[in-house]
Amino acid sequence: MIARLYRPLVTGLLPVALIACMNSPPTSAEPGAAVPLGIDLGSSGPVIASAQPELPARVIHAVAEAASAPHRDMQMAHAGHNDAHGTGTVNSVDPAQHKVNLSHNPIPEIGWPAMTMEFPVAPSIDLTAIKPGTRVNFTIEQQPGGMYEIRAIAPAGARP
Amino acid sequence: MSARRMIPLGAALIALAAPASAQTPAANDEPTLGLEPGAMQPVMDRGIFAHAILNENEGRWNGSNTQYRWSGEGWLGTDYDKLWIKSEGTRQSNGTLEDGQHQFLYDRAITTYFDLQGGLRSDLDSRPTRNWAAFGIQGLAPYFFDLELTGYVSSGGHLAAKFEAFYVLLLTNRLILQPQVEIDLYSKADPARLTGAGFADIDTGLRLRYEFSRNFAPYIGVVYEGQFGQTASYAKRAGESTGDFRFAFGVRIWF
Amino acid sequence: MVSYPPLTRRRFMGAAAAGALALIPAPLRHALAAPAPVLSGTEFALEIGSMPITLNGRQTTATAVNAQVPAPILRWREGDTVTLAVTNRLSEPSSIHWHGVRTPSPMDGVPGLSFSGIAPGETFLYRFPVRQSGTYWYHSHSMFQEQTGLYGAIVIAPKAGYPQAFDRDYVVLLSDWSFEPPETIVSNLKFQSNYYNYGQRTLGTFIDDVERKGIADTVADRLEWGTMRMTPTDVLDVSGATYTYLINGQPPGANWTALFRPRERVRLRFINGSSMSIFDVRIDGLPMTVVQADGNDVAPVTVDQFRITVAETYDVIVQPTADRAYTIFAQAEDRTGYARGTLAPRAGMAAAIPPLDPRPMRTMADMGMAGMEHGEMPGMELSPEGKRLEGKVGVDNVAMMPAERLQSAGEGFPPGRRVLTYADLRATKPGSDPRPPAHEITLHLTGNMERFIWGFDGKKFSEAVPIELKLGDRVRFVLINDTMMEHPIHLHGLWSELDNGHGEYRPYKHTINVKPGERLSYLITADAPGRWAFHCHLLYHMEMGMFREVRVS
Repeated sequence: MIARLYRPLVTGLLPVALIACMNSPPTSAEPGAAVPLGIDLGSSGPVIASAQPELPARVIHAVAEAASAPHRDMQMAHAGHNDAHGTGTVNSVDPAQHKVNLSHNPIPEIGWPAMTMEFPVAPSIDLTAIKPGTRVNFTIEQQPGGMYEIRAIAPAGARP
Repeated sequence: MSARRMIPLGAALIALAAPASAQTPAANDEPTLGLEPGAMQPVMDRGIFAHAILNENEGRWNGSNTQYRWSGEGWLGTDYDKLWIKSEGTRQSNGTLEDGQHQFLYDRAITTYFDLQGGLRSDLDSRPTRNWAAFGIQGLAPYFFDLELTGYVSSGGHLAAKFEAFYVLLLTNRLILQPQVEIDLYSKADPARLTGAGFADIDTGLRLRYEFSRNFAPYIGVVYEGQFGQTASYAKRAGESTGDFRFAFGVRIWF
Repeated sequence: MVSYPPLTRRRFMGAAAAGALALIPAPLRHALAAPAPVLSGTEFALEIGSMPITLNGRQTTATAVNAQVPAPILRWREGDTVTLAVTNRLSEPSSIHWHGVRTPSPMDGVPGLSFSGIAPGETFLYRFPVRQSGTYWYHSHSMFQEQTGLYGAIVIAPKAGYPQAFDRDYVVLLSDWSFEPPETIVSNLKFQSNYYNYGQRTLGTFIDDVERKGIADTVADRLEWGTMRMTPTDVLDVSGATYTYLINGQPPGANWTALFRPRERVRLRFINGSSMSIFDVRIDGLPMTVVQADGNDVAPVTVDQFRITVAETYDVIVQPTADRAYTIFAQAEDRTGYARGTLAPRAGMAAAIPPLDPRPMRTMADMGMAGMEHGEMPGMELSPEGKRLEGKVGVDNVAMMPAERLQSAGEGFPPGRRVLTYADLRATKPGSDPRPPAHEITLHLTGNMERFIWGFDGKKFSEAVPIELKLGDRVRFVLINDTMMEHPIHLHGLWSELDNGHGEYRPYKHTINVKPGERLSYLITADAPGRWAFHCHLLYHMEMGMFREVRVS
């Protein structure tokens, strides 16, 4: 009985074998080929652990900031000089660049008249609570290099 | 070469290389700092560069005769200290050389955009030779004006000054319009050289060049060469014109 | 453990071989030089020599390793000790630096700091333990040999295995090639620093701006830049006017191809091995998941495009699902050219090459005057260090208000594409040194574009003293970019932990791109003694003085 199945089996397997051979991919570059082919360095092999959960790009920094808060506080405490305080109105917030544009009152501590300007904001500050049109109290500090950065900002009337 | 052959080859190379490369450390567990300080420099940032440019290299035609005019400069040196050569002159259609001024200067960079220059100027052409001590400043002023202001003292105590400026206006990235002006002043008249006291002469032009490459740019333009005051009277007495518009054509080259 | 088939290694035997090589017909000679083979194991013999090559039909001479440009891919394993015998067959001294690989200082390959270089005819034996894994690269640290072809990839397999699975693995080494000798390039820049910039502002762009913004705004803008004697069109010092951009040594027309089977995960190890070119990389139709930066694993971030500065590496995993070709498109930041390859299921396929994006322009934020209205602000003053730098021969600008710009990808990206930023890079494990920095060192990146002088704090390397650190120090480097160009800043020997808001998960990098007008900082643990090079990786900036020694003792 097996002998009778033999011929159709081989006839059936032959085209399958041919198709399998045709689909085998080239493993390395053939010298003299017109198109230069990249050299495949192989696969990763077994993985060590479950893949890292992918974090949405913009949320990453806010989540990690909470974890590293002690370190940031220590850094902020070191730099205690050159603080100045002001009040103003928020014109716009740029979450991507982490900046706010403010129209503020004169700041006599550093000799500034009333101005409208953009400030970078310290990375640990959450900008989602700051809306355009809000009246705010803020603290700025001059960084080495001359830049003034907002170190604290809160709606006027709220505890900063 | 198979992996099996690499190991004995590698061992042989190590055996051969060990005496050849005396600077390799005995073992990796002895941390050493590296090379002795001061032995050699990792970057050569005191390089000496040399360049020269012919800003004017042209025939000047006023309808009746053609002059050849050149004006160029070159320097050799480092970022701070350079030796400069500047040369200019006009060869008249009758073969005489006029307005020949050649300067040999030491140049020191003093600010972001300006250099101080000092040295010698020699007026060498078909007229009597004059030599001067030169002292001046050259650089790029705000709004991209290129400026050169040099003062001179001759052995006889005469003073002179030269002011040069040009501006590069890009019509396209390769088609460039360059207005340029050069003015000479003298404290005392020098009749043998047909230069009078005060504002002596002006050489100004508007040149349009096409940069096939940065180094090689043919150009056309209009130039005006004129004399003032006493210099103008000297020119009239010598039968020469006191102000001349000419059509210029030439090639601006630098290397 | 996967084993790799033995591959032939062609050795360059000297002038006779070069002559013989020249007699071989051009297409075959090109085939011999094309694809760089892979060298694996723990013992390596590398020979540096001059080699004639043909690129886009033009004959030229390159600096090759084992007669290949780019140099062979080196495959190491974390935990091995590697020995590399490097023979110099050039007529000038040479060297090889293993970029990003932490070696003992004498093995770091910097002439003048690590050792005295490899003299012509000499063989130097590098030997060091490999205590890290990831994608790195190697290149000459002598004169301009890096520009003429002496660069190659290093792939170090992790001892513990990969955290992400992939089926195929390709090195994508981007570089720039000029048919002009590098000495001529830098000499041209010394005389006319905008020599290679054919994208300057002209009468044409003035008229366009007037149509867009009106004459008053346009004139005010021109005057503003004019007072500073700067132009917003300075993006890259050396452009496609002289460069041909290469992918694994192949020009765009050669169509370098990496093969895959649909639905496979392909790992692409992007390395920017160029001398002066920042590339913006994307694969239209295929989002890329960034899994590693500068050889260190990061939390996966999926983007459409990333900017890779000189000397950086990014490993991405892509998963093409369709049975079609994809174009790997790496355009130079100034949009004067591109490198191009193809990801395809079969050889000979090609996808459409996208048009170049619009050329980015510098803004007042790049000049360090972010958010300021036209003109000076009353009461705004330069810091004392800024005042000291102003007007010096080596300084043409001091940033008035340098800003933190890690959240920004940079200029030149049309809206609608997800572009990687430094703020997106989060290490997969916390840093090994939890200490806060004990002190801070601030360095200004300065330069004078007109004179083509570059340095730190207004000083060239020959005018400055080493930065001294004590072994075991935990220090913060603060970099302020007073120039209006990006600078990829590379510290040899020690990791730069970029402070990008991720706290103890800050990424470990070896090369950090500082944007114009930017202020950023990173933490360093000085845990390796030695004389370490610290420099801008733009080759001609480095050679013109943007270099320092960081001495850890």
